[in-house]
Amino acid sequence: MGELLRSLRDQPLRTGLGAAVVVLLALLPLGLNGYQTQVVMLGYFWVILGISWNLLAGYTGQFSLAQHAFATIGSYASAAAVLALGLPVPGGIVVGALTAAVLGYGLGWVTLRLRGIYFAIGTWAFAESVRILLSVNYHITRGDAGLPVPFLFATPDPFPYYYVFFAVSMLALGLNAVVLRTKLGYRMRAIRDDQELAVASGVDVVKWKRVVFVISTALAGLGGGLYGHAIGLLSPNQAQFSQMAFVIIAVVLGGFRTLWGPVVGALLAQGLAEALRISQEWRFVVFAALVILVVRVYPPGIMGGLAMLAERLRGRPPRSPSVGTPVAETPIAERGGVP
Amino acid sequence: MLDALSNPQILAQLTVVGLMLGALYALMAIGITFIASIMKLINWSMGEFYMIGSYVQYYLIVLLLGPGLWYLALPVSMLTVFAFGLVVQRGLLAPMFKYDEARRFEYATIVTIALSVLLQNAAIILAGPYQWSPQEYLPTRAFAGLSLNGSRLAGAIGAAVILALFYLFIRHTMVGLSFLGTAQNRLGAQTAGIRLGRVDMVAFGIGAALAAAAGALLAPVFLVYPTNGITSTVKGFEIIIIGGLGSLPGAVVAAFGLALVESFGSFLISPAYQDLYGFVFLIAFLLFRPQGLFGERERRV
Repeated sequence: MGELLRSLRDQPLRTGLGAAVVVLLALLPLGLNGYQTQVVMLGYFWVILGISWNLLAGYTGQFSLAQHAFATIGSYASAAAVLALGLPVPGGIVVGALTAAVLGYGLGWVTLRLRGIYFAIGTWAFAESVRILLSVNYHITRGDAGLPVPFLFATPDPFPYYYVFFAVSMLALGLNAVVLRTKLGYRMRAIRDDQELAVASGVDVVKWKRVVFVISTALAGLGGGLYGHAIGLLSPNQAQFSQMAFVIIAVVLGGFRTLWGPVVGALLAQGLAEALRISQEWRFVVFAALVILVVRVYPPGIMGGLAMLAERLRGRPPRSPSVGTPVAETPIAERGGVP
Repeated sequence: MLDALSNPQILAQLTVVGLMLGALYALMAIGITFIASIMKLINWSMGEFYMIGSYVQYYLIVLLLGPGLWYLALPVSMLTVFAFGLVVQRGLLAPMFKYDEARRFEYATIVTIALSVLLQNAAIILAGPYQWSPQEYLPTRAFAGLSLNGSRLAGAIGAAVILALFYLFIRHTMVGLSFLGTAQNRLGAQTAGIRLGRVDMVAFGIGAALAAAAGALLAPVFLVYPTNGITSTVKGFEIIIIGGLGSLPGAVVAAFGLALVESFGSFLISPAYQDLYGFVFLIAFLLFRPQGLFGERERRV
């Protein structure tokens, strides 16, 4: 915490800019009509999922493909708590986040001991299984017909929802910033940059990967719970892989491994999609093509680019981007490659 | 239910259905694991190559060749996707080798996931969200009291032929051996004068063509629509983990194993859960034998 405050003080320009963006986002609904507020509010759902994924994939190097499934679990667990147990909606949302965290702990326990490729496939298969289970057990979940759930507020007015989502997003962003400057944050990046070296330096790699995975899935579950009670209708389609793909798209566009990347990427993608008024399919085609272009040509993304620009304006020699530092062209002997 | 299995008729029927589907699962799984063993990447857009294969097959049969000539459409569909695979590898994936190993995995994952989303949605725009089906490849036959679905039978035969050709190519031609060598040790292969860039490109094309073959052969069974590749990709990934990542025999054994489990499971438990057995096995293998059936235990530094 202290280190975060120090860095906020030492970089007044960045602090000011960040604060300005937060204030701007807080005042945004004043300039929008109800529908537009609703659109931006849903953008925050992607912000939350993006931050939860970036924490795991961007900063810890664990390429999870189940964030959307944990959000879906959060939605349905919260719905179960509210509908079956009679909990108030906020209590249900907490139950949703906890359920996601517990299941995340279980899945992490199984998959995080292994190399990244197994983790990616394991989480992916988990997500597909969640979707299938939800749509097969239609006598409980009402399957693809959708499960109506009570709303968080008694009013259909999107403004209170906007501020709930906004607050949770900013809390998640703050949490991310704090974590990066704690011991956990350094351990995360040590694991990402060189797992063997991290082990050799005495980091309990598996344990800390699990800790991050639980934080990340709890955050995804929280986002999913909020989403369910803001939309009022749940569907197994929330666990479709295209939802995960959208999270990846948003984060990579905004800036993989940057603090603000998920915020910028998700809100931009949501806003752009709305402004272009194109069909869902065209949206995905355009954004997927953009992502391929970004990764292929300029991997740091928008925030990575802005950071480099700022460094250059200050007259410092530009740091090499944290993503995509090229190494020698000739293939190196692969350590622990696929047999 | 269990006592029904003492009926040899039912037992044989379930086994045959499982074996026929297993041959097709094997195609998909071999495609994934072949690419994985050579380029050390997982291709997440495998299902879209399957999808394109099924569409090419469908349009060839409906517009050009007629239902009787499905076996002529099959190689054309495979070749089309092979060529597309070459382009994708050269244009999008080859640049990954300028990064180190961890970044390479990330790069390949993001690019192939984006490609998968792009192709799926492009298919919806181009061909519409409808489901199509070519006519049955063969009429349903009764054989020794078993009823054999003609399309599944044709698919299994086609898959067996393609797998046999693939085996001969890999084991008995110089080009094929250079693939095996590259899979074993990239640096060693390069030292021996093998051009890795070319091997990667062709291997990716072959993997894509195998997925297309599965799509083309399964077109009358699982139908032709923009997201038809998802289920078979899930199965493919589960199979390669169960069989051992990078192991070709493991992929074949696990493919037949999973198909048999699904066939018996849907009879004994419920067809609704058919798509979940693979996940249960996947988790069990990750827990108790992460190297898979045939994989070698990895050593960590």
